[in-house]
This record gives sequence, C-alpha cells and structure tokens, in this order.
Amino acid sequence: MSFKEKSAWAMGAIMLVTGVWYAQLVAAAPQAPVIGPLISYVLAVIVLSIIAQTVLAILSPREAHASADERERIVMDRAGNWSGIVLGLGVITAIIMYIGGWSATLLVHAIVGALIVAQLAEYLFQIFLFRRAV
Amino acid sequence: MGKRPPITNRVRSLREKHGQMSQAALGEAVGVTRHTIIAIELGRYSPSLETSFRIARLFNVGLEDVFGWEGD
Repeated sequence: MSFKEKSAWAMGAIMLVTGVWYAQLVAAAPQAPVIGPLISYVLAVIVLSIIAQTVLAILSPREAHASADERERIVMDRAGNWSGIVLGLGVITAIIMYIGGWSATLLVHAIVGALIVAQLAEYLFQIFLFRRAV
Repeated sequence: MGKRPPITNRVRSLREKHGQMSQAALGEAVGVTRHTIIAIELGRYSPSLETSFRIARLFNVGLEDVFGWEGD
C-alpha cells in the first residue's frame, strides 16, 4: 500500500469518526449556536490529522517527503472532481431543506455536513482509484 | 484507468534483464513510485509519454521495444 493510500485511509477514518461525533453534537442541541460544535469539530480534525500524518511520516519517512507522481496526481484529481459533485448535491439539498422550513442554524449544519461527507467521499474515491489502478 | 488500456509492455522483462533491477529502483530512476511501476507492469496503467521515454532511455531501447499495441 502506497503512502498516499495509507494517508487516504487514515484521513477517511478521521473524517468518519469526527463526522459522526459532529452529527451527535448537533442532534443533541439542533438550535444551539453553530459556533460551539463547529469549533470543537475543526479542532478535533486538525489535532487528529496532525497526529495521523506524523505517525505515517515516522513509519515511512522517505515516501512522506516525496511529491505525488503522475498516477497519484490523476487519482487525486479525479477523486477531487467526484467529491465536488457530492459537495454540490449536499449544498443543493441543504438549500432545499432551508426553503422547506429549516432554520438558518440547521442550514449551516447541513452545509458543514455536506463538506464532511464530500471530504469523506474524496478519500473513499482515492482509495477506490488507488486500488483499481495498482 | 479502470478500463484496461490496450497497451502491452515489456517493462518487467527489461527490468529483469537489467541486472534484476527492483521496481523501486526503476521507479526512482524514472520519477514514479514503486506502486506505479507495479501498475504499469500489470497493464493497469499507461504511463505518460515522458515516463515512457524515461523507461526506454534507461534501458537503452526504443519506445516500441518497451510498449506495444495489443494485438499488433
């Protein structure tokens, strides 16, 4: 497994775990100010990402410093394009829900949720493409 | 990617003739990862023209001695 794929697995797991945690925070207090769960979520993602990337870099120091090669760039570009579609669909869904009566607070949470799902999808697409082309 | 490209290659045999050169060493020599060399050898990935030339030049052969079109 290449370093980039290991990184995608680690970041995908972080997005999944923190995304579920964020959803639980929002579900516990749907109309509470957005800033509380949002700051907690962002800090958790930053800290866990730094830890994961540091561990991966210690385990594979040479690969960690190498830039992506031509095949890896294709994989990441394609995964980025596909996840952009997921993000767009999520944002459109959030707007429709807002028009349908959701509060502005829930709109913000839904858009953050769309960002989380799109980011998770990007890592899953990367893993899929890395596996298919190796 | 995905659909198998209709391009054949002799990278593995050239690598083995070249003093049993490892996939990692070849990858490093031409600027790609070992995993990309594996994908090329398995026919799952068609390298860029630049990488193709780098591989051919490394083995001192022509491009068509490394890569071919399926069925030709």
